[in-house]
Amino acid sequence: MKRVGVVALNTFREAVRDRVLYNLVFFALAMIAASILVGQVSIGIEEMVIVSLGLSAISVIGLLIAVFIGVALVSKEMDKRTLYALLAKPVRRWEFLLGKFGGLVLTLTVNTLAMAAGLFLALRLVKHSAEPLEGAVLVAVYFILLKLALVVALALLFSCFTTPLLSILYTAGLYIAGLFVTEMRNYQSETMSRALQSLLRWLSYLLPNFENFDVMAAAAHGHAIPGMLIAHNTAYAALYCAIVLAAAAAIFTRRNLK
Amino acid sequence: MRTVASRVLLCAVLLLGFAGVWQLQHAIDAQLAATHQEQDDLVLRSGPLLKAMSLEYAPLIADLYWTRVVQYYGNKHVRQDTNIELLWPLLDVTTTLDPNLIIAYRFGAMFLSEPPPRGAGKPERGIELLQRGIGANPEFWRFYEDLGFIYYFELQDYRKAADVFLEGSKQPGAMVWMKAFAARISEKGETLETSAMLWSEIYNSTNEPSIKKNAQIHLQLLRARADCTQLNKIAEEYEKRTGRRPGNMRELVNADLLPGLVVDPAGFVYSLDAEGKAQINPASPLSKEQSIKEKLP
Repeated sequence: MKRVGVVALNTFREAVRDRVLYNLVFFALAMIAASILVGQVSIGIEEMVIVSLGLSAISVIGLLIAVFIGVALVSKEMDKRTLYALLAKPVRRWEFLLGKFGGLVLTLTVNTLAMAAGLFLALRLVKHSAEPLEGAVLVAVYFILLKLALVVALALLFSCFTTPLLSILYTAGLYIAGLFVTEMRNYQSETMSRALQSLLRWLSYLLPNFENFDVMAAAAHGHAIPGMLIAHNTAYAALYCAIVLAAAAAIFTRRNLK
Repeated sequence: MRTVASRVLLCAVLLLGFAGVWQLQHAIDAQLAATHQEQDDLVLRSGPLLKAMSLEYAPLIADLYWTRVVQYYGNKHVRQDTNIELLWPLLDVTTTLDPNLIIAYRFGAMFLSEPPPRGAGKPERGIELLQRGIGANPEFWRFYEDLGFIYYFELQDYRKAADVFLEGSKQPGAMVWMKAFAARISEKGETLETSAMLWSEIYNSTNEPSIKKNAQIHLQLLRARADCTQLNKIAEEYEKRTGRRPGNMRELVNADLLPGLVVDPAGFVYSLDAEGKAQINPASPLSKEQSIKEKLP
């Protein structure tokens, strides 16, 4: 595990050196501007708009980082030929992958927490009452983080056997499909055969369900999110990441790197 | 040997993993269902705004919206949910994004016009949609046919229906029977024969199974209605002879007024109600359809 930790820490350092966290400046400016603007133009729903806007921005920025950096985690090391030097050391391939995953998740955690801090600051600026909004927003931020971890795992899986461009397409495609899982499961139509409906239902359980992590509306309205849902979503994300990373490790271990 | 073992291990991990995911998903579904009720929502209702936002991809977005319409209507229909308030805004957006999407006008008008639970029960919206379709696609004469059907079946405005069929018959490429429909409706208004003619035309002109089935049910109900009218005449004859209304169909057969028990198009023997009037057997699937279509002319 120590070797995994070293790879993870180096991945984080590399991301910082690559100025990945610069987006935080953009986010902070956007949130300050939005809070001032929203305060001027909206009546009664300032907090709701700030929460929706902030969580959406955290999600979008995080997704961009997760997909674009996630798919480059392996390919960049191969292009620069640093992977060969690394694997010549006593580091197993699955350890390398797990380290890369951990490093990017760490980067995303720092990024997301910093953005969440910006969001809370903006909320403080516009907040007129002391409603218990922060708890739900914090859970929503946590769910975004779980979602991003899953996206990183998928990006890493695809980057183990295909080109970066295709990896981006596959990851984005799977993410979009994962947003329509409930619709897929509940789709009922007279024009669709029972076999196809059953297939869609099965598929809906196998695909990563990104809808599980969408509590943005509840957070914006200050609705409490049950503790069991937090526990189940955490377990779901952890288990799905484990499955995807196991598959990625199996592929990467068999890959001919010559 | 080691490779085989590792592959078996990987398969086991994946299988067990997905089994766990399956279990967790059920638990999450239950919690999400408990925390918020299902809500229909359409965030962007402005067609022009969406058109501007979709750049040159408006037809593609229109197709997606049309898929959403079908899905929305299909889900509601299967669940027998009569609250289909979003149907009109969805169709409005779809046809604004792509004014030449003929299918959206035709099916949309049908979905909007039919009485609940089959449709939204808003024929005036259906008419509005078709008139918009005519404005954007003046060469498509079938819109007049659809408009005529709505005036005839849903609004029972036979004069308007005749006018629309006549107007449609003047469009380039229109079939000659449009003029015949106009003349017949103008002359006789509502008759079982005219209704049967119109539904036969719908049945023959569509390849869409759900519409075909709907037309077939209407035709069967019309036939059942004609049969009931005939059976009532026979029951009256029975009353003249015996001084009382028949208690069941068998009595009409025993009195040699019927050669045998008469069945409806679904194969169920007609029955008599408490007043001795012929009706579709409550066990027949047509009975349920009839209760849905109380307005059937």
